Order: sequence, then structure tokens, then C-alpha cells
Amino acid sequence: MAAASARSGAARYPIRDQIAIVGLGSTEFSRDAGGRSPASLACEASIAAIHDAGLSKADIDGVVGVLEPGAPRANQMAALLELPNVTHHGGPMPVAMFGLIDAMTAIFSGQCDTVLLYYAFTRLPWNSRSAAQDPFRRYVMMGGGTAKPPMPESMDPSAAYTAWASRYIHEFGAKREDFGRIALNMRANALRNPKAVMRTPLSMEQYLAARMIRDPLCMLDMDVPVDGADAFILTTTERAKRMTKNPVVVHAATAGMVGRNDEDQLPSLARHGQHVVVESLRARGELWLDDVDVFFPYDGFSIITLGWIENMGYCKPGGAGRFMQEHWDEKSGRVLIDGRVPMNPHGGSLSEGASRGTGHLREAVTQLRGEAGARQVENARTALIGCGGFFFNSQGAILRRI
Amino acid sequence: MAESVSDAALVERFPWVQIDHDNKHLFRGWLDRRLLIQRCQDCGRFQHPPKPICPACWSSRIEPTPVSGRGVVHLAMFLRQGAPAPGVDYEKGPHPVVTVELEEQPGLRFTSTVVDAPLADIRIGLPVELAWIDRYGAPFPAFRPRAGER
Repeated sequence: MAAASARSGAARYPIRDQIAIVGLGSTEFSRDAGGRSPASLACEASIAAIHDAGLSKADIDGVVGVLEPGAPRANQMAALLELPNVTHHGGPMPVAMFGLIDAMTAIFSGQCDTVLLYYAFTRLPWNSRSAAQDPFRRYVMMGGGTAKPPMPESMDPSAAYTAWASRYIHEFGAKREDFGRIALNMRANALRNPKAVMRTPLSMEQYLAARMIRDPLCMLDMDVPVDGADAFILTTTERAKRMTKNPVVVHAATAGMVGRNDEDQLPSLARHGQHVVVESLRARGELWLDDVDVFFPYDGFSIITLGWIENMGYCKPGGAGRFMQEHWDEKSGRVLIDGRVPMNPHGGSLSEGASRGTGHLREAVTQLRGEAGARQVENARTALIGCGGFFFNSQGAILRRI
Repeated sequence: MAESVSDAALVERFPWVQIDHDNKHLFRGWLDRRLLIQRCQDCGRFQHPPKPICPACWSSRIEPTPVSGRGVVHLAMFLRQGAPAPGVDYEKGPHPVVTVELEEQPGLRFTSTVVDAPLADIRIGLPVELAWIDRYGAPFPAFRPRAGER
């Protein structure tokens, strides 16, 4: 493994360790929540998170609702919960860490003291056949607005990952098994997560036989659309210490992108958003790979996970397949880095469900609280999250127990 | 020439595209079967997709400029399912989608499909040239392998 403790050029970062996550709330994740709106799911998760933090309406003065398709906006959520004194509200774009960072900075700057951060997911007509049958989902579009119907030659982010996967295979001679190990790892972990939607064991033979969707990626390289919601309560670390015996603090969190982030114009696999994220995390944090007890590489598409393993520095570019082989735990059928550090112990987006990183964040907090039950990583103190993909949406965070 | 086509008529010719003041030249070019890529008149850099300024030097002097349409396949995927389009039948076989690096400038890329080629020939590194096809009654720039360079 790469030497991985030293910081690479410190950045001004006064927010380090100053914001804590003190509440978690989550619905069931399912292929079909059956007649429930995204707002209903968001309410359930949000109320659970506020209760988990031991708080009530008047304590929440910040509301951050990520702009997932169909999800209620922050002002709507404040009305749904009748929060009486809100001094900050915002609607960052997906993926998960944009919401986390907005909540953190709002609290740290003093715009508010305690934030409800929520995410709601709903299967969309374009990514779910059953959702296409639901008349109430007909007008829920990705990104909203008056989008024209896409053309086959679209390089929207979801297709572009497959295109760049072709480049990865071309440059490094990667095999389908290298991608398959990502899927197998997530599925093996999901078997221990009652919330996961995909909980039947998966073999390499099954992976290789799975239906191609966009060659070179098959169905099992792509995350599973779900209905569900996650919510988090954030406040100052100082306040968190008085509220709970097990606060989890955000050591560092960052977004990262390069200027040429139009999907098909990305400079190369050697220079994109993930690289900026890693440089930023290393400059802003004091913890790195040798300190990490549990690793959360995003897996909306398997190629993104291969990228995070390599770009975090666990191995060289093109080496993720071999790295997983070398750190494969035959007994549990999954990656355990150095026999110890699991990768997405909740099953990731591929097998828990497509929560665009909120599942990763929720599981990181759960593990650091020591509340992960059968999935618990012994004495987990530090979690590393690489969230989102290559383009506008690369993000990262280091969380730790204090 | 398509310069005489009004903005309203242009929008009607391409009902499936979001046309705006920054990309209208690209689609006017298609009507004349010309691939026009923006080029900065100050620093000389080509850019795609269309933008209101040159992102490199921030000049507003950007000119839609004909390019050769020759290039090399940089990314390649084969859709087994996807958005509908005339002439695209996923039941009959995978639909190739490629990003081509144009010969005018390293890193300048244009995404479309490939015609007149067996699927097995479509791979990263394949030299291609423009091949205009019809889509919804308007010209659409696709690629085909360059003769003798397979």
C-alpha cells in the first residue's frame, strides 16, 4: 500500500472536526415503496433523525434538502414539519456530499446551529420499468425543467461512465472480472444489511452472464433504483459533546472537479474530479489511508469504484482489479484491505440501493457509532468516503469518532 | 444556405434538441451538412460543446469553424437499450455510440454513432470520418471508418 499518513501541503481549514453528525434517520429501501410519495419518505426519515438526536421542532434552524428528482424542497420540508424558526435553507444538487458540505458550512459560519439534511429517492420512469407504469411518476424528471427526450448518442453522466469504462479497458487491459469483483463485494456485504434491496448471493459466473445494458457495462455494474430516504442532523461538535456520548465528526469534506468536466471532454482517466478530491482531502485532513478503518468508494457504476480505489492511492492506476484480488477475503467473498478494512460494508449503491452516496454516509456514521450490528468493523474510528464520479460530482469526506 | 433559416424555423427542424443562442450555429451547420466547431479568434483554441466564451482565454470572439470531421475513436460503447430514435432498433443489435477525438486539436471530441461498419470493427483507435445520416428528417453527423485505414 502507498505510504499514506503525511499531509500533502496543508490548506486553511478551520472547520476541521468542528461539525458533528448527531442524528440518523432512514426509511426502508425498496424497489417499490407502494403508493408513497418522496415527500412521505423524506418526512419519515427526517422525523426519525430528529428523534434520534433527541431534538424537537424548535431546535432545527437549518434545512438542507438535496435536489433529487421528486424530493420535496427545503421550504416544503420546513412546512411539512412546521419548523418554526429556520434561518438557513438550501437545495444543493445531488450527490450526497454537496448537502453535507452545505450543512457544515452553514453551521460553522453561524447561519444556523442545527441542520436537518435529508435526501429522498424515487424510481424514475426512465430507469425503472415499474416506475414507468406509475402515472404519478410520469412528470418526475431528472434535473426537472423541460428537458427534451434524450437521444441514443447522449453523453449524459450515466452513459458517460460506460464510455470511460471502455477507455479504462483499452488503457489498462482490464478484464470483466475486475468489474465483477466490485459487484460481488457489494453483494456479499449487502447480505448482512437488512435494509439492502439485493440480498441474494452473487457469483462471478452470474455476473459474467448478466444482461449487457451498455456494453462494456452490464446490469450488475449499475446501481439499483430504489424508493427511500435518508436524513441526518448536524450541529457543532461542541454542542454534540453535550448531546450524545458518541458524536461522529466530519474531519474533512470536499467537492472536486476539473475545468473540462463536460462528460466526453474530460481530460483523461488520469485527471478528473476524483484527483482534485484526493488532493483536497489530503491538504485539509490529517488522517489518511493508514488511519482508515472502513472505506466507502461510491459505486453508482462499477467503473467509479475502480477509480476511487486507484485514485485514493490504494494502488496504481489500472491496478484496482489486482488490488481486490490481493485483498480478497475468500471466506466472506469480499474485499478486506490488509485483512481488516471492508469496502462499503452496507452493500453500496449496487446492492443496498441507489442513494447517490447517502447510504455510504449513513453507514459511515453507523460504523463509527459502533451500531452496525453484524456488519460492525471492530473499533472503527475513521471512515473515508469517496463519493460521486468523475465529472461535476466528485466528492470526498473523512469522518471520525471522537 | 442555413444562415437564412430563422431561429424559429431552426427550432422546428430539430425538435429533439435544446437549441439556444450558444449552440444555434452548430445546428445551422448540420442543415448544410457542415460540422462547425467553435474556435476562439484570440487564442485559436477549438471547443465543444458550444459555449458563449472561450473557457481558455475568456474571449467572446468565438467563431463557428468548419472542421474536417476526421478523427480517431476515443471512447466506444454499445447500447443494448436506450433512448428511441428513428433507425435505431435495439432488438436488431447493439447501437454503437462513440466519442471521436477530432484531428484539429488533442482533446477536442465529438460524440455520435458509427455507420457502415461491422460492430467488431468499432473500437478505440479506429480512424473515422464524417458520414451524414438522416434523423427526423434533418441531417445528423455520424462517423464511418476511413477507407483503407481500418
